[in-house]
Parts: sequence; C-alpha cells; structure tokens
Amino acid sequence: MAPKQKTFTVGWLYPDLMNIYGDRGNILTLLKRAEWRDYDARMLELGRGATKGMEDVDVFFFGGGQDREQALVYEDLLEHKQPPLERAVRSGAVVLAVCGGYQLLGHYYQTAEGERFPGIGLIDVRTEAGKKRFIGDVIVDIDTEMPGLVPRTLVGFENHSGRTFLGPEAAPMGRVRLGFGNNGSDGTEGCLQDGVVGTYLHGSLLPKNPHLADRLIRSALRRRGDDELSPLDDSAELSAHERILERAQRRLPARAPQERELRSSAAAEPREPS
Amino acid sequence: MMRRTAAVLAGKATGMLSRLSRRGGGTTLPGDVARAIDPDVLRKLARDLKFGSVVITGTNGKTTTARLISWLLEGAGHRVVSNRAGANLIFGATAAALESAGADGRLRADWGVFEIDEASLPKAVDEIQPKAVIVLNLFRDQLDRYGELESIAKRIESALERLPAGSRALLNADDPRVAEIGLDLPAPPLWLGIEDTSVAERDLPHAADARTCPRCGASLIFDAVYVGHDGVYRCPNKDFTRPAADITATNIQLDGFDNIAMTVGMRRAYSADRATETQAVKPDQRLELPLGGLYNCYNALAAYAAGVTIGLEPQYIAERLKNFRAAFGRQERMEFRGRHLNLVLSKNPAGFNETLRTAVDLAKGNSFLIALNDRKADGTDVSWIWDVDFERLKGKATVLVPAGSRAHDLAVRFKYAGIDAAPPEPDPGRALDALVKATPEGETAHLLTTYTAMLDLRAELVRRGWAKPYWET
Ligand SMILES: [Zn+2]
Repeated sequence: MAPKQKTFTVGWLYPDLMNIYGDRGNILTLLKRAEWRDYDARMLELGRGATKGMEDVDVFFFGGGQDREQALVYEDLLEHKQPPLERAVRSGAVVLAVCGGYQLLGHYYQTAEGERFPGIGLIDVRTEAGKKRFIGDVIVDIDTEMPGLVPRTLVGFENHSGRTFLGPEAAPMGRVRLGFGNNGSDGTEGCLQDGVVGTYLHGSLLPKNPHLADRLIRSALRRRGDDELSPLDDSAELSAHERILERAQRRLPARAPQERELRSSAAAEPREPS
Repeated sequence: MMRRTAAVLAGKATGMLSRLSRRGGGTTLPGDVARAIDPDVLRKLARDLKFGSVVITGTNGKTTTARLISWLLEGAGHRVVSNRAGANLIFGATAAALESAGADGRLRADWGVFEIDEASLPKAVDEIQPKAVIVLNLFRDQLDRYGELESIAKRIESALERLPAGSRALLNADDPRVAEIGLDLPAPPLWLGIEDTSVAERDLPHAADARTCPRCGASLIFDAVYVGHDGVYRCPNKDFTRPAADITATNIQLDGFDNIAMTVGMRRAYSADRATETQAVKPDQRLELPLGGLYNCYNALAAYAAGVTIGLEPQYIAERLKNFRAAFGRQERMEFRGRHLNLVLSKNPAGFNETLRTAVDLAKGNSFLIALNDRKADGTDVSWIWDVDFERLKGKATVLVPAGSRAHDLAVRFKYAGIDAAPPEPDPGRALDALVKATPEGETAHLLTTYTAMLDLRAELVRRGWAKPYWET
C-alpha cells in the first residue's frame, strides 16, 4: 500500500472580497509548488462567518480589496477570524498578507481625517492614509533578516496610498531599489514578524518570487517536522524575475524626464478602445 | 461665434497636420487645440446635430456598440459623427465633431454616436446632452489607471442623474453594479438583459467583482452567469435582485467567432422623446450578425434598443445588422500560406475570459498566441493575468506562444495553469514565426492580445503584407 500522502493547506481569507490584484496567482503558486513536491495540496476558502478548518491551515493568504469590500470584511475579521488566526500563528502557521490585508493585520489604519480603525494587531505596524498613490514596479533588495533566499531581490508591483510604519517587533523584508515600499520615506518594504509576512507587492508576488514562496511553504511545514523541500526547476519564474531587474536597469536613469513628458492630456501613447 | 470658428479651424488644421505626418491618426490632439481656444466648442457643435446623440459607456464593448449604432443610422441615410479608434475621452469626442464641421465652424450632421470613457461621462453628458446613454457593464480594468469600480460607478451615476429631460438611460440589468446605478435614478431607465440559460455558465469567474448586495452587503447568489459577473443574481436577504428586463435576448445561438443569432423581445417601449412615448410594444425580432461570442450579444442588444429608442424599425435593424463589419482590431481575420489567423483584442479579465471561452468552446483551431504588453494603454500592472482562466486552454491548445513585452510573465502563468507552451517570445515578428511554423496548413490560429500588443502584431502583419494598414480599412 502506498504511504499516506502528506497534506498542505492554503487558507484564503475572503477570496470573494479580497482578491483585487491577481491574488489568485499567490494561491496557485503555493498550491502548485506543494503539489510538485507530492503534497496533497488543498485550498480552504475562509469567507465571511467561516472559521471551520482554520487549525489545519499551513499558509494563510490575505489579499487586498476595494474600499467597499474591505469595509465588509472588517467586522468579520475582528469578530470571527482574529482568535483562530492568533492561535494558528502561535502554533507555527504562516501568513502572507498583501496590501489591504497587510494593513488590517497591524495596529490600526488612520484616515486622512484622523479617524482610526483598529486592526487585529498581529504585527507591529501602523498605517496612515497618504495623499499621493504609489503606483508602479518595485524591486526590493532583501535584508539579512531573511537569510538563505536566492536571488537576493523581490520584484512586484505596488498600488497603495497607505503609509505603513514598522514598530520594534517587526523587521522589514528589505529596502526598495525601485518604487516606494512601506511608506515612501524610510526606504523599507514589507514586514516580517514570527510567521507573518506583510507586503505591498503584488504582481502577483509569489509567481515571480519562487524563493519567497518556498520560504513560506518551508516555514509552515517546519511545525510538522517536515521542512525538506526538494528543488524544482524555476527557470521560467526566475527569467521573468530577471527581466524586471534588467528593464529597471535600462529605464532608471531615463525615468524622470520621460514621466514629465507624458503628463499632457493628449496621451502620447495610444489609448485602448473598449 | 468668432471664437468657435477659430477653435474649429485650428482644430481641423491640427488634425490634418497630424494625419499627414501619420502621428497617431490625429484622433485627439485637434480636440485639445480647439478646446484650448473655446472650451465650449463641443457643446456648441453638439447643438448643431439635427437629431441629437447617443453616448455609450462601460468597461467592455463600447467601440463595437458605437460602431453598430452608427452602422444602423448610416444605413438609414443619416449623416453620423462618431469618435473612432478608442479616442474616448472628451478630447476624442471633440476631435470627431471638429472633423465633420465646416469652414464656418458649423457641424452638418444628423446624429452623434460617441463612445465615452466611464470617468469622462459626467462631462460628456453635460456638453453633448445626448438623447440616450447606454451603460454596458462595469468590470475590473487597469486598476493602476482607472482606480476602483466603486468610484467609477459613482461618476456614471452622477452623470445619469443629470440627463436632460427627454433623454433615456439604457442599462444592462444583468450587471449588478450597473443595476445599482439605476436603482435611484430620477427617470426610470430602460433595462436590457439576456434571458437564455442555455448559454449560461454555473460559476462566477475568479475575476468577478460586484458580488455583494448594495443594500445589506451580503454576497449575491447567481442563478446564471453570462459574461464576467453579468447574469441572474439575487440577494439572499431579498432586498436586491436583477431588475426585470424591458428588452431581452432569448434563443441565442453562438457560432464561434463568426456569427451570433438571437431573438429580441420588447416588454416595454420608449422613444427618446417622452412626449411621444405611446409607441406600441414591438413584436419579437430575430437578429443575426457576423460577430462572435456571447459578449457581442450584449452589444447587439444595446444597439437594437438604442435603434428602436431613436425611431428605427426592428425589421430594418435586423436586415442591416446582417452585413455588419467589426471595428478595426476588435476581431480581424487574415490568411497566410493557408493558415487562418484570427486576431481578437482581449484587454482585461472579463474580456479575456470571453474570448478564450469563444475560442475554446465554440471555434475551430488549436493554435494560440497570447500577447501581453504593459504600456500605459494596456495597464502597467499585469497582475490581472492571474484572474484569467487560461486553464481553459488545457487539452485544447496544441500550440501556445507567449508573446508581448511581458511574454515571460505569461509563460509563468501558463506553467502554473499546467499547460505546455513555447518559449516566451517578446519580439512580435519572432512570435508570429513561432506560431505559423507550429500551425499546420489549413488550420486556424487565435491571436488574443492586449491593445498595444495588438498594434505591434498588426504592424508586423502589415509589414509582411498579410494585413492592410488601418488607415485603409
Ligand atoms: Zn441584500
């Protein structure tokens, strides 16, 4: 008889509401990379009201939403998800939170009018509304806090107006080489605290950063005494990663004047019809 | 008067120069120039129109629907002014009106048909004072540029609230976010919808937005899904449901990218002028037209509804639609050494899912080239490819070429969809070579591409003499 296949479970928080930036790419990457290592990979949808099975989840994913959807998950998060999520992280489960999800896991989000919406305080970060929206490609040089990751860069795309600041308990994932990152002022991007990774990078994040995906999977499996991941052929993923680096290298010096030129109402590039 | 004439002449001169130099076809710059001289130039020109205007907005289908309506009006002997090639900001509409204006600064035409970007709608409605406004759908599209659905919906709503008396809003009842816009309008809209569950899918696609109830926030229940999140929906708490459609499409037949047929029924009739709103309800009318895909049923339905609203006869509409030609680059065929190339614009998750569905379920041909660019007009954020169900290609695509400036991202997407693909090929010429080489003679290849990727591929096809340059089409 064949040995019982080991399971790997991804828990997607609010898949119908918090899925704005191609977050399915992160889910697919986690599932496939576990599957390719012969795990029985499963996805558990954790919509509003649902908590069943949260104790079996290895990696939670919490994405970004539009304002209306984010308001709808807010109460449910505080009421239903906070206690089981805290228990899971204490027992060694991993959380990847992007954009709106990242902000909601912190202490609070403060609006431009000064109103504060408390988050669940799972990570030592706070967010304030900013005026300018940060939109564009991002390249992050990974900090020494995350050893063992090769290549030493993360690539993605950001689109946020929140400014997130890290407290002493949280460490940044890295420094932005291109883009704005956490707040556009201190040069940091993302946060690491216990098993939680928060970030503004989508694009989607994990498909072009397979080294980060594997780090999440490996740390989640560690609590099962099972953290040996067999190597995979990542040439497709890494060549997509590499192209973003190359392109930034070519564009960086020319970028500023070019943007000024393009600001006229009669766009210099063709607009697409619908 | 002087100012308007100066504005028109300056705009026309700009257009001529820009066409002569073949820079961008002269589609919006004349509008910029003329508006700088006289900011009210479009308002004045629109007033010259003998009968008025129809304005079309929505994420997908604007160009095709506008082209359908112009086709109907022109066939009935009307002189029509319309903005072309996706120049759908206020500058593009202005440029179109300028092009048809005479040297005296007057516009001599019967109808205006304008496709207008969702965000520009309030301004367009204010200046053009249209007889009818069509809202086709609201899908997620290029968040880096357009922002969130919610703010776009609010802009459309504010525009429709200020429609002139005697003007009609024609809204897609199947789109929950569009239906929400129509709930509280001062004048009741005319609702359009598909009512044929034989062409429905059971599940919402991954990219579905607008799936919560505007009244209570509960997740909507979908009993049928037609295109994206457009379908038959209801709130479990019974406080929001799909509006009953006034004009319906039933008995739909889909034949690949070649043809659609459907029966249009009218439950209630309006004319644009409410004073004569006593028109009889029209009998059912069968429509057949040479366009492919369920998404085009919505466009045809909207064009039919607009046509009847402004006084065209159903039988005439049906006759005229039979010979319709698709707008440039929407959908195009060309032949090369016995291979049939089918070029289809696919620019966001909802659009891509529909062209994929049409290619895979309804059309012949197992060769595919998917091209993704990330220039401003395509959207610089390519995350959305993860919301497209490329998994549909599994077992169908025997040839799959990832192309465009982000070909490498597509290659990763295909890998995670579990489909074997050729190596990524950002160069349009080499991508075409790879496609043609792998496609056997007599077979069909589908090229599904974002906007500027389509321009790149088309330029290459023109260079090779497989397609005509677009100023000749
Ligand atoms: Zn409700």
